[in-house]
Amino acid sequence: MKTGKNFPVLYWVVVAVTLALGAVGFYWRLSAGHRMANYGELIVWGLWVATYIFFVGISAGSFVIAALVYVFDIERFRPIAPLALLVSLITLPVGLLNIWVDLGHMERFYELYVRPSLVSIMSVEVWLYTAFLIVLVAIIWLEFFRKAASEEEQRSGRLAVRVLSAIGLVLVILFEGAGGALYGVAAARPAWHGGLFPLLFILSAMVVGTALLAGIYAFFSSERGTERHRQVMVDLGKLMLGLVVMEVLFTFSEYSIAFYGSVPSEIEPLKVILTGPFWYVFWIGQVGLGMVLPIVLLVWSRTREEPLWIGVAGLGVVIATFAMRLNIVIPALALPELEGLINATPSPRITTSYVPSSMEWFVAIGTVGLALALFAIGYSLLPVEPQQEKEVSHG
Amino acid sequence: MDEIKQTPEPQPGVTRRDFLKTSAVVGGTLTITSAVANAFRQVAGLERGMSGAQAASEYPLNKVENIIYSVCLQCHTSCTIKGKVLDGVLVKIDGNPYSPMNMLPHLSYDTPPEEAAQVDARLCPKGQAGVNSLYDPYRITRVLKRAGKRGENRWEVISFDQAINEIVNGGTFADGTRTPGLKEIWAVQDPDLMAELKADAMAVAGGEMSLEDFKAKHADHLDLLIDPDHPDLGPRNNQFVFQAGRIEHGRKEFAKRWLKDAFGSVNWYEHTTICEQSHHIAFQQMTNQYRGEGSWGGGKTHLKPDFANAEMVIFFGTGAFEANFGPTPMSELVTWSLTYRNMKMVVVDPRLSKTAAKAKWWLPVKPGEDAALALAMGRWIVENERYDATFLTNANKAAAVADGEPSWTNATWLVKIEDGKPTRLLRPAEAGLEDVDGFVVSQEGTLAVVDPNDEETPVEGDLFAEGTVNGIHYKTAFQLYAEETMAHSMEEWSDICGIPVRKIEEVAREFTSHGKRAGVDLYRGPVQHTNGYYNGLAIIMLNVLIGNIGWTGGVSKGGGHWHEDGSKSGQPFNIVKGMHPGKLGSFGVPLTREKWHYEKSTLFQKDGYPARRPWFPYTGNVYQEIIPSAQDGYPYPIKALFLHKGTPGYASPAGNPTLAAIADPEVIPLVIADDVVIGETSMYADYLFPDTAIWERWGTPHTTPAMQPKVSKFRQPIIDPLVEKVTVFGQEQPICMEAIMLAIAEKMGLPGYGPNGFGDGMDFRSRQDYFLRMAANLAFGDKEDGSEAVPEADEEEIRIFREARRHLPPAIFDEERWKAIVGDESLWRRVVYLLNRGGRFEDFGDVYRGEKLAHQFKGLFNIFVDNVAAGYHSLTGEHFYGLPTYEPVKDAAGNVLEQDRDAYPFRLFTFKHIYGGQSRTPGNYWAQLGVARENFVLLNQADADRLGLKENDLVKLVSPTNPDGLWLLPNGEARPVVGKIKPIQGIRPGTVAVSWHFGHWAYGASDVVIDGQVVRGDPRRATGLCPNAVMYEDPVLKNVSLTDPIGGSSSFFDTRVNIVRA
Amino acid sequence: MPYVPVVSEMENALVRMQEDLKRALEKLPSERRWVMVIDLTKCVACDACTVSCKAEKKTPPGVNYTVVIKEEVGTYPNVREVYLPRPCMQCDNPPCVDVCPVNATWKNEEGIVVIDYDVCIGCRYCMTACPYGARSFDFGEWYTEETPMIAPYETAPTFEYGEERVRRNRRSPIGNVRKCNFCIERLHEGLLPACINDCLGRARYFGDLNDPDSLVSELLRERYSFRLKEDLGTEPKVFYLS
Ligand SMILES: Nc1nc2c(c(=O)[nH]1)N[C@H]1C(S)=C(S)[C@@H](COP(=O)(O)OP(=O)(O)OC[C@H]3O[C@@H](n4cnc5c(=O)[nH]c(N)nc54)[C@H](O)[C@@H]3O)O[C@H]1N2
Ligand SMILES: Nc1nc2c(c(=O)[nH]1)N[C@H]1C(S)=C(S)[C@@H](COP(=O)(O)OP(=O)(O)OC[C@H]3O[C@@H](n4cnc5c(=O)[nH]c(N)nc54)[C@H](O)[C@@H]3O)O[C@H]1N2
Ligand code: SF4
Ligand code: SF4
Ligand code: SF4
Ligand code: SF4
Ligand code: SF4
Ligand SMILES: [Mo]
Repeated sequence: MKTGKNFPVLYWVVVAVTLALGAVGFYWRLSAGHRMANYGELIVWGLWVATYIFFVGISAGSFVIAALVYVFDIERFRPIAPLALLVSLITLPVGLLNIWVDLGHMERFYELYVRPSLVSIMSVEVWLYTAFLIVLVAIIWLEFFRKAASEEEQRSGRLAVRVLSAIGLVLVILFEGAGGALYGVAAARPAWHGGLFPLLFILSAMVVGTALLAGIYAFFSSERGTERHRQVMVDLGKLMLGLVVMEVLFTFSEYSIAFYGSVPSEIEPLKVILTGPFWYVFWIGQVGLGMVLPIVLLVWSRTREEPLWIGVAGLGVVIATFAMRLNIVIPALALPELEGLINATPSPRITTSYVPSSMEWFVAIGTVGLALALFAIGYSLLPVEPQQEKEVSHG
Repeated sequence: MDEIKQTPEPQPGVTRRDFLKTSAVVGGTLTITSAVANAFRQVAGLERGMSGAQAASEYPLNKVENIIYSVCLQCHTSCTIKGKVLDGVLVKIDGNPYSPMNMLPHLSYDTPPEEAAQVDARLCPKGQAGVNSLYDPYRITRVLKRAGKRGENRWEVISFDQAINEIVNGGTFADGTRTPGLKEIWAVQDPDLMAELKADAMAVAGGEMSLEDFKAKHADHLDLLIDPDHPDLGPRNNQFVFQAGRIEHGRKEFAKRWLKDAFGSVNWYEHTTICEQSHHIAFQQMTNQYRGEGSWGGGKTHLKPDFANAEMVIFFGTGAFEANFGPTPMSELVTWSLTYRNMKMVVVDPRLSKTAAKAKWWLPVKPGEDAALALAMGRWIVENERYDATFLTNANKAAAVADGEPSWTNATWLVKIEDGKPTRLLRPAEAGLEDVDGFVVSQEGTLAVVDPNDEETPVEGDLFAEGTVNGIHYKTAFQLYAEETMAHSMEEWSDICGIPVRKIEEVAREFTSHGKRAGVDLYRGPVQHTNGYYNGLAIIMLNVLIGNIGWTGGVSKGGGHWHEDGSKSGQPFNIVKGMHPGKLGSFGVPLTREKWHYEKSTLFQKDGYPARRPWFPYTGNVYQEIIPSAQDGYPYPIKALFLHKGTPGYASPAGNPTLAAIADPEVIPLVIADDVVIGETSMYADYLFPDTAIWERWGTPHTTPAMQPKVSKFRQPIIDPLVEKVTVFGQEQPICMEAIMLAIAEKMGLPGYGPNGFGDGMDFRSRQDYFLRMAANLAFGDKEDGSEAVPEADEEEIRIFREARRHLPPAIFDEERWKAIVGDESLWRRVVYLLNRGGRFEDFGDVYRGEKLAHQFKGLFNIFVDNVAAGYHSLTGEHFYGLPTYEPVKDAAGNVLEQDRDAYPFRLFTFKHIYGGQSRTPGNYWAQLGVARENFVLLNQADADRLGLKENDLVKLVSPTNPDGLWLLPNGEARPVVGKIKPIQGIRPGTVAVSWHFGHWAYGASDVVIDGQVVRGDPRRATGLCPNAVMYEDPVLKNVSLTDPIGGSSSFFDTRVNIVRA
Repeated sequence: MPYVPVVSEMENALVRMQEDLKRALEKLPSERRWVMVIDLTKCVACDACTVSCKAEKKTPPGVNYTVVIKEEVGTYPNVREVYLPRPCMQCDNPPCVDVCPVNATWKNEEGIVVIDYDVCIGCRYCMTACPYGARSFDFGEWYTEETPMIAPYETAPTFEYGEERVRRNRRSPIGNVRKCNFCIERLHEGLLPACINDCLGRARYFGDLNDPDSLVSELLRERYSFRLKEDLGTEPKVFYLS
C-alpha cells in the first residue's frame, strides 16, 4: 500500500479534525433541527446548498474527463480516468448529503421517489443523480472489479464501459444543465432568471472537475516526477486554461449585460456581490483565485509546464468555484421580493444579511472531511493509480 | 460566531419538567392544579382524549360553548371581546359582534348567541395579543416579599395569609427593616367621630371656628389627627395612600369603598394627569353648568366628533388609527367615512401619524403651540364671520330651544374688565339690574338679566359689546375671545405654531364650510403641557364657533351607559352609593392638594403665598404629585402606599425622583403593590401580590363618546385565573386586588365586609358578591319600572352559559352561588342573558336619526370660564384666566421657562403605536414584539444629515434636568436613555420623537431572584428606549415633572433635548 | 359617488360576506372563485390582520402568512405613507407549485394553493419561486422558548386545513414551508378568513368572484383595482382597490 506515501499524516489530521467538527455539526443539526441555522425567511438557502452544487459540479466535471477517455478515446487523460471516476463517485453523494441535511424533513427524502413531480426540476435532478450514480457504479465495477476472463469478455466490457460512459455523460450534462435551470426558472428571482444558467453550470462543472483532478494528480499521484505525469498535467493545464477563459467570458457577459440593461432587481444582487460586505468572495475568490491566478500560472512560460504550479492553479480554481457557488445562491435571495417586506414584521430571520452559523459551517466542513476520508480510502483500496503492467501492455 | 441555540425541545416530557421547575420559582401554584398546566398537558398530548380534545377536521372555535364574552384592557379603550376557549385555555380573542365597538353596524342585541358565535368582529392587534399577556411566562402567581433591599429584586414566596397578617400588624425583613402595620394607621374608626371631626375641621379651615375651640372640643382625639394644628389635613387614616394606574370602573368603586368609606382615607388616586387630564378639565370647565349661587358643576369631560356623519374632522395631537379611544371602535367609522362619504380629515401633529397619512391636510405643528394654531383659525373665522352667529347669540336654554339647538353658550354674557383684564362674569346686581342670581347680556346696548337655565324666556344678546356700567368696564365673552385671537397677526401666529398662513386659512375655511357637520377632536398631544388646559379651551372653542354640539356630524357626548352602580331608583342593588353598613367616611386635604382651594386651608392661613407645592382646585388624580409630595412631607408625610396597576416611576415624565422616593423606607415606610408581573415600579414593593389578569376578572368599564349607541360592557372571567387561590371570609378565591382588600378588611374588621357586608342577608365575601350585583343592575336597566330590563335567558341560553363555563372551578364559577347572589330567578335569567353577550348594547338604528343625535349634550358652553377665573394660582397668588389663551411653557412658580435652544436644540415628544398598550405589553410576542422589535429615536432626515447621523447610529438623549441622560434606578443601576436613530421625512424638523411602550428594565426584561433561584429575564423585552427620564423636572419643585396648574396634566411634550452619540 | 346609506341602514360587511360565503358553499368547489379584495384607501396599517392570522394559526417567530408593508414616500413636508397588506396571492398560475419536487403543494379545486404538511420535505424551493415572499419556513422556534415557560398559546392546537395539529418536537408543520391558505378550514365552516374579520379599517374583503352578487364582485365592478406584479402572469386572486 502506498497510502502512507500519498496521504501524509497531516492529511489524516485534517480528516480527523473536519470529521470531528462534522460530527458536532450533525449532532446539532439532528438534535436542534433547523433552529441553529442562519438561513432564514428571505435567504432561504445558504452554505449547504452552495456546498451541494459545488460538490455535484465536481462530480459532473470529473466524470466528463473520464468520459473523454472512455467515450472519445482521448488517451492522454487515460492515466487519470480511474481517478476521475473515483472523485465523481465520492463527490456526488457527499454533495447530496449537504442537500439532505438542508431538508426540513430529512426522513421524507423518499417522497422524491414515491411522488416525484415531473415538472419540478428538483425532482428531475434527484432522478438524474440517481440514474447517474447507478451508471457510475456500473462503470466502476466494470473498470475496477470485473476480472475479464477472456479477450472477448474484455472487449465487451470495454464496449459496455463506453456505452455506459456515454450515457453517464449525457446524464451529467443534463443534471448540470438542470441544476442551472433550477435557478434559471425562478422568475421570482430576477438575478437567477434567465437562459444562461444551465450553460454556466455545465461549464463551471467542467472547470472545477478539471481543476480538482489537476490538483489531486499534481499532489497525490505516486507518479509525480515522471514525464508522463508532467505531460498529463500540462494537458490538464491547457484544458483548464481554455475552460477558465470561457468562464471569464461568461461571467463578463452575464454582469455586463445585466448592468447594461440596468433593471434594478437584476443588478442589485450583482452590486451586492461586487461591493457588498462580502465583496472579497467575488474579487479575491472568484476573480483572484479563479481567473487571475490560473490564467497567470497557465500562461506564464515559467509555470505553465510545471505540474506543481498547474496543480496550484487547479486548487485555486476549486476554491474559486466554491466562492462562485456561494455567490450564485445567496445574493440573489438577499433581495426582498417586495420593497419594504423585510421591515414589515422584523425578525432576525427576515434579513438581507446571511453569515452561516457554526452549525452550518461544521456540517459543511464535515462533509468535506468525509469526502477526504472516502477519497483516501478509495484511493488506497481501488486501483486508481495506473497499473505498472497496464502501462507496459499499452506501452 | 453565532450563539449556539439550546434546544428547549418542547416535547411533552421535557417541557413539563421545565414547566414544573419554573413553577417552583415564579408561580408555584402554576403546578398541578392550574388550568394552564392541565391544558398544557392536554395540548402536549399527554392526556389526549381524556378531556374532550377536539376530533380532527372539526373546527371548534365557532362553537358557542367555547365562547365567553368579556372586555379587553390592553389599552384603556376597553373594547368588548369574544374569548375562545379550548380545553380551558384562552386561545383566540376577537371582537364582540354584539357591540358597536367592534362592528359597523353591530348585530342586534336579540341575536341568539349561537348565531353571534359565527361572527368574529374586528379587534386591534394588541387586543388580540391579550393571549400573550394572559399567559405571560413572567406572570407572578403567588405573594412575594422582598428578601433584599427595596428594588433589589430578591424575593421570597410567602403565603397570602402571612402577607396580610404582616401588612395589618407590621412586618420585619431580612435586612432588619420593619414596616408599620395598617392597624397603626387606622386611627379614626367611628363614623360619628369622623363626621364630627370633619365638620369642625372644615369650620376651622373656613375660619368659622377657631383652632383653640377645635382643640378644646376634640382634646381626646387630637392624636387621631395628622396634625392637630391643621385639623383640615384630616385623620391619620389619610396616611394610607392608594395609588392606581390603570384602574377601571367597577374596581374603582370597589377600591374607593374600601379606602375612603371603610378605611377612612381620602387618598385614593388614579393616573389621569399623566394620561390626558387637562383635556378632561378643559371640556369639563367649558361645559360646567351653572348651579346657582356662584357654583358650577356637572360638566362633561369628553366629547367627540360623530365620525359616521361628519363631513370634516380635525384631530389635534391624536388620531383614529393608533391610540385615542381608540383604534378598534374608531378606525372603521373613519375609513368608511373617508372612502364612502369623502370626509375631509386634518391632522395637527408634529409627526406624520397613520391618521395623518390618510388625511387631506397634515399640519406638523410645533409641539406645544396648538393654541396659536387654534387661535389663528379662530381669528380667521371671526374676521370672516364664519361662526354660527345664530347659535352663539343664544344666551340661555329657552333661546337655544327656540332655535332647535341642544346647547347654548355664554358668548354674549358680559365679563368685568379690571385693570384691563377680564376677571369675572358681571352679575345683575353689579350692573344695577334686578338683584337675582344670574348674569348679564347686552341687547343692542341695553343690559339685561339672563338666567342660563331658564326654559321659558329666550334671551339673546349682542355678540360684541363693550361698555361701562356702575363704573365697571365690561365686554362680552365672545368679544374677549375675539380679542384673544387678535393678540397676534396671522403671520405672528403662523410663526409661533409653524404652519403657513395659507394652510391655516384653508383649513379654517374648509372647517366652516360644512355647517354643523364638522368637528374637532383632541387628545394628549396638545394637552400634556403646562399650558394644556388653555390649549384645550382654544381647540374646543373651534367646535363652539360652528355650534356643532349634539348635531349629527358634529360633536357628541356619545351614548353613555346604563348604570351598573345601582344609583337609579328602582335598580336592584344601590351598591356604590348605598349598601354600606357602618360606613366610616373620610375627610381632609388630599396629599396632592387636589380639588381644594389653597385659600380654604389652614396651611394658607399659616404660610400664605407661595404655597410650598401647588394646590389644584380644578382637577383630581394628580398622579405625578403623589410620591413627590410624600417625599416633601407636604402637606403631610405618609405611612403606607398601596400601588395598584400603576408604574409612576416609569410612566410619568421625570420619574427618577419618584423611583428614589419609593425606594426609601423613610419616605414611605410600607409599600404594598399588586401586579401581574414584577413591574418597573412594583419591584420596589415590600409585599408584591399577584393580580388576576384582565381576562380573569370582573369589571364594568365605561365607553367614550366615540360610540354613539349606549354601551355597557361587562368584564367577566374567561378562564380559571393562573394565580393562587386563597380563602377569605370562608370563600375560596383567586388572589387579586379585591381579595387583598377583602382579606385586609377581614383581618382589621373594616365595616361593610363579610357576612351581611352589604346589609341584611347580603354577604360581601368575594368579588363575585360585588360584580354580579352590578350585572343585575345593568340587566335591570335604568328605568324604575323595570321596563328597560333585558330579556330573560331561555333554557337553551342557560345551557350555553353553563357549558361555556365548564372549565371553571367552583371558586370561579358556581351557578347556584351566583344565582343566590342575584337573588331572583327572573333577574338571574336576565343576568345570564347579559353575560352571554358581554354586556348590553343599543342598536345603531336608535341613535342615527335626522339632523340631531339621539344622545345629545344639552347645556351651557362657557367661552368665559367663570369658575376657573375665580380661582388662584397657589404659588403666585394670581387669578387664573377665564378664556382660551396662548400661554408659554411655565414652571410651578409661574415663571416662563427659559429654554436653552443652543445646547438643547430639539423638542422631544412621544406617541403610541397601535401594537403597544402603555408600558404593559412588552411580553406581547405576537404584537409589540412581532410587529416591531424595538423603538427608535425618530428625527427628520434633514436634521440627521446635519448632525451626520445615520440610521441605526446609537444616540443618547440629554436634557437640562438630566444632562447625563440617565435613568437612575435606586438599586444603583444607571441606564442611559440610548436608542437607535431612525431618520424619517414624516416629522417636523427640530423635533425628536420616541414612541412609548419600550425600554423596559423590569417586566421580565431582566433577572430576578426568587427563593434564591434566578429567573432569567428575556432580553427581547428590554429593547428600545423610554425617554421619560429626560423629561423636565420642575425647576422650582425639583422632584416632579412640570405640571399644568389648572388641568393638572404632567408635561410630556415641553422638554428640549440634545442628541449625542452614545 | 354611489349612494351611501347612513350607518343604521347599512348592512354590515361581515354579515354580507358571510351570506355570500354560504351561497358559494352551496356550489361545487370548482365553481367557486375565492378572492380577497384589499381596499388600500381604508387600510390603516394596524396589523390587526397580521396578528389575527398569527393567533389563528399560532405561527412561530418569523412565520407570517400576511404582513403589512409600510413605506414613506416624499420629503418633508410633502410626505405620505403607503400601506400594503400582503397575504398569499393564491395565484391562478402559482409559480410556487410547479417547483415542488414532491407535489406537496398544489392549487386545489377551489383555486386555493395548499400545502400538505405530511408530504412537504422542507426543501424551500417554493419559497424561492414565490414572487411575493408569501411563503415561510417553520424553523421550529417558539416565542417563549427562552423564558421560564413555553406559553400554552404556542402549544395550543390549530385547525389549519381542518386538521388538529399541535406544534411540537420536530413534527410537521415544523420543518415545513407554510403560507396563507385563505383560511380554508374556516371557509368550510361558513366563517370568513380570520384576517378579514379582524380588519380594523374594514379594508379586507373576501368572497366568491364567480358570484356576481357577492360583495367582492360588486367592489371589483365599481372600483379601480390592480394586482401585484401582474406582468409575471401569475394571476393573483388578491385584488387591491386604490
Ligand atoms: N395603541 C394604544 N392606544 C391607546 C393606548 C395605548 O396604550 N396604546 N392608551 C389609551 C390611553 S390611556 C390614552 S390617554 C390614549 C391617548 O391617545 P392619543 O392622545 O391619541 O395618544 P398619544 O400617542 O399619547 O398622543 C400623542 C399624539 O400627539 C402628538 N403630539 C405630541 N406633542 C404634540 C403637540 O404638542 N401638539 C400636537 N398637536 N400633537 C402632539 C404625538 O405625535 C401623538 O400622535 O390612547 C388610548 N389608546
Ligand atoms: N413616554 C410616554 N409615557 C407615557 C405615555 C406616552 O404616550 N408616552 N402615555 C401615558 C398615558 S396616556 C398613560 S394612561 C400612562 C399609563 O401608565 P400606567 O397607568 O402606569 O399604566 P401602565 O404603564 O400600563 O402600567 C401599569 C403597570 O401595572 C402593572 N400591571 C399591568 N397589568 C396589570 C394588571 O392586570 N393588574 C395589576 N394589578 N397590575 C398590572 C404593570 O406593572 C404595569 O407596568 O402612561 C403615560 N406614560
Ligand atoms: S383598542 Fe385594542 S388594546 Fe385597546 S382595548 Fe381595544 S382591543 Fe384592547
Ligand atoms: S403568492 Fe406565492 S405562495 Fe402564493 S400562490 Fe402565488 S406564488 Fe404561490
Ligand atoms: S418546501 Fe415543501 S412545498 Fe415547498 S417545494 Fe419543498 S416540498 Fe414542496
Ligand atoms: S386568509 Fe387566513 S391564512 Fe390567509 S392571511 Fe388571512 S388569516 Fe392568514
Ligand atoms: S387589519 Fe385591515 S386595516 Fe389593518 S393593516 Fe390589515 S388590512 Fe390594513
Ligand atoms: Mo392615558
